[in-house]
Amino acid sequence: MAIRVNDFTINIATANGTGSQSANLIILHSMYEMGVPVSGKNLFPSNISGLPTWFIIRASDAGYQAPGDNTHIQVMMNKDTWEKDLNNTEPGTVIIYNQDVKLPVERDDCVVLPMPMTKMARSISPKMAKLMANMYYVGAMAHILKIDQRAIETAVSNQFGGKEKAIEWNLQAIAEGKAYAEENWNYESEYMAEAREKDPNTFLIEGNEATALGAIYGGINMLSWYPITPSSSVAESIISWIPKLREAEDGGATCAVVQAEDELAAAGMVLGAGWAGGRGMTCTSGPGISLMSEFIGLFYFAEVPGVIWDVNRVGPSTGLPTRTQQGDLSMLYEASHGDTQHIVLIPGTVDECFEFGWRAFDYADRFQTMVFGFGDLDLGMNRWSTAGFEYPDIPMDRGKVIRSQEQMDAITNYGRYRDVDGDGIAYRTLPGSGLDPILYRGTGHDEDGIYSEDPQVYHSTMERLKRKIDGARDLLPAPIIREEDEKSLGIIFYGSMENTIVEIDDMLEETGLSVSTCRVRALPYHSDVKSFIEEHDKIVVLEINRDGQLFGILRKELPVELLTKIQSVAYSDGLPPRARVYADLILETMKEGEL
Amino acid sequence: MSILKLNVIDLEKSEYKGGKSSLCPGCGHDQISNVIIQAAWENGIKPEGIAKMSGIGCSSKTPAYFLGKSHGFNTVHGRMPSVTTGANMVNKDLSFLAVSGDGDTASIGIGQFIHAIRRNLDMVYIIENNGVYGLTKGQYSATVEKGSKKKKGTMNEQSPIDLCAMAVNLGCSFVARSFSGSKKQLTALLRAAMSHKGMAIIDVISPCVTFANNDESYKSYNYVKENDEVLHIVDYIAHFSPIEAVEVPAGEFKEIKLFDGSTLRLETVGNEHDPTDPVEALRAIHEADRESRHVTGLLYYNPDKKTATETLGLTNTPLMALPESELRPSKQSLKELNDGFRTN
Repeated sequence: MAIRVNDFTINIATANGTGSQSANLIILHSMYEMGVPVSGKNLFPSNISGLPTWFIIRASDAGYQAPGDNTHIQVMMNKDTWEKDLNNTEPGTVIIYNQDVKLPVERDDCVVLPMPMTKMARSISPKMAKLMANMYYVGAMAHILKIDQRAIETAVSNQFGGKEKAIEWNLQAIAEGKAYAEENWNYESEYMAEAREKDPNTFLIEGNEATALGAIYGGINMLSWYPITPSSSVAESIISWIPKLREAEDGGATCAVVQAEDELAAAGMVLGAGWAGGRGMTCTSGPGISLMSEFIGLFYFAEVPGVIWDVNRVGPSTGLPTRTQQGDLSMLYEASHGDTQHIVLIPGTVDECFEFGWRAFDYADRFQTMVFGFGDLDLGMNRWSTAGFEYPDIPMDRGKVIRSQEQMDAITNYGRYRDVDGDGIAYRTLPGSGLDPILYRGTGHDEDGIYSEDPQVYHSTMERLKRKIDGARDLLPAPIIREEDEKSLGIIFYGSMENTIVEIDDMLEETGLSVSTCRVRALPYHSDVKSFIEEHDKIVVLEINRDGQLFGILRKELPVELLTKIQSVAYSDGLPPRARVYADLILETMKEGEL
Repeated sequence: MSILKLNVIDLEKSEYKGGKSSLCPGCGHDQISNVIIQAAWENGIKPEGIAKMSGIGCSSKTPAYFLGKSHGFNTVHGRMPSVTTGANMVNKDLSFLAVSGDGDTASIGIGQFIHAIRRNLDMVYIIENNGVYGLTKGQYSATVEKGSKKKKGTMNEQSPIDLCAMAVNLGCSFVARSFSGSKKQLTALLRAAMSHKGMAIIDVISPCVTFANNDESYKSYNYVKENDEVLHIVDYIAHFSPIEAVEVPAGEFKEIKLFDGSTLRLETVGNEHDPTDPVEALRAIHEADRESRHVTGLLYYNPDKKTATETLGLTNTPLMALPESELRPSKQSLKELNDGFRTN
């Protein structure tokens, strides 16, 4: 029998709040420790305790990070989803289940492996039995997959950092689970986790924590936030890291943290901070952006720097608050009433979460406008591999700020909104400086900042603003292009789809297609995106939403002669993208295009 | 030869003036703007050290009409407190002087008003309270008294929100009420508010001459003049003025020490009022309300409350002035951070 080495998917069905997350992360981290290319996805409910949770672990020597199309090993711990989990299980799957749930598993077509997990856990600690039961499936997995004992020990000790009793008990539970499996299961495993040479520099981290660290290295002065899944951990990471990384000589804080009364206030605080010359940021998700939209227009029109980091969850409305989507893009790009356009940075990896986390402040100061970071739940709340974050390679860009009378005197005919350099960006002075003060306003204003309803003044202000943001295009992160010699099909995508694109690409190339890819990393889109479209025969814009939001933006901004070769493939069901779904949709769309 | 009158930092009063008002002639708000100019000049505050903040509405337009040498921000409707919060966080050395209206504060922005008080934001917050929405042509606001009637239209049947009572309940550290027609009282209270550290609220009844200056309106000039229950006569004695220069009042008085060393003298005119007792403040407000009167003066004062930035333990330098070396951790720190993740 052929053994599948480092090429399988495990699905673990548990209930929220039962401590299963620790067990799941121990499996993930112990394989990662062995050098097995592995990824984990937490599908959790909007609930504190009791609702079903699934954790998907995929091992893949090919480096595929999407949830696999088939589950090879199903762990069943949750009585509420028992029947559904069983029904979803394909013939031939290995089913490991907690016998103490006392529900039947009648599947002759599967490998069925019971273990009395709760009962065994009770012998270690009656009080902790419910939590500890999960460690027994870690033991079962160690047996089935031959996970290295040392790797398990490292993972357990990191998970329960410093808590000796917890480490001891959990290791005991894992050992007992493993021993039980060895003694009682008559099953020759078809799956195996095999050690690979691991780059000693790599580690796993959530996108939100990477973003938080980026913001700290970007010099964040003021964090205002209102709790909302899936963005809260950006704020919480900043709060926990900033005292360790940034303390003033007098021991005082160098970043003010304000938990706001709502998202409107959070956005207002960012505006106030930017206006007063600081680096303000808030993090939120779609519903928060909706609330912030009035202020976003004020950022744009009064030309105040600030950063809003959006971690996208499924909309519309409250939607699926704990699931992932790329459904906010068009809202971000043109948020607020009237004609507006905003810079949107779109990281696709944790390294970029860090990098764009600090760059966002530079762009905001440079272009005197609100800059969005745009991630999603999948990238933000799951753990991804990095070889380590890179230190900012350029000094901070504080933009066009006049700080002395001398600088002021060097400008002839100064006005807060007068474009003296021809790049659409005017010079500003800060409150407290006494230099050419104005009353900032969201009402119409002339080049000196004075209230105006003059048609020509309004028109030229709006034209300048368009020119200013347009001028950012090629200064923002360029797309990442992977090109084939034969330029037939080009796929344009963005964000967390990065983690699935390689597998999609391989699936398409298996059918004989030659596929180039272009990952857009910012809006307004870089001129390289346009060149990519020009060079390829056919273009598919691939997105995790219903309406093809980037497709819509491209269609609006590209020259009309390019539009005929562009098609949209957009799909969203709340789950992280699975390669097969998108590959099939692309093939279908290509076929339709030929008819 | 004309002799120019200078303040303690050698500035003429004209240095504190702003642009020409576009409000209706006789508007109470313009009187308040004049008091702001007078108070800032008399207190000898550097104009560039002040940040003028406002929301949206007739009152919120007025920062264009005073302190032309100060930066300011006419923000969005009801959200001025959050913008002030952000600016205060990164520059705690600025003196924030905010103007808002009753629509801005008691309706659309009531949440932000409450939370600014809760944080004890270091700012002066003036409410120019006329009970109507002026710019949208005279709708009732939430501070209009039950039974009050504007020039055209039906009587208001809903109970008002008393912003001072609310502020006292929330523990606001300085709560005063005044009348735009009482220049002396308002100037003294505003000067004291400027000398206070923490959130100072002055609810100023400011008649709307266009929509609600008829006698059936409880916020009209005539009504307020006749129904103003003055708690005490207030005298402000600046820290740089000799105390002997102040006239000794005939009756009893209390003195309140302000943060910058100035003094507010409260001369009793009727019943004695202890402004450090929130229960007395609420009693004064509710008793006046029962008789459809407006109680004016310093209602409540608590000098010991920590400000928002003090609570956060910020470093002494305003955050916006920190150099890159203090804002961006070192290259070495990132190396250690990466290494820490690797071994964890």
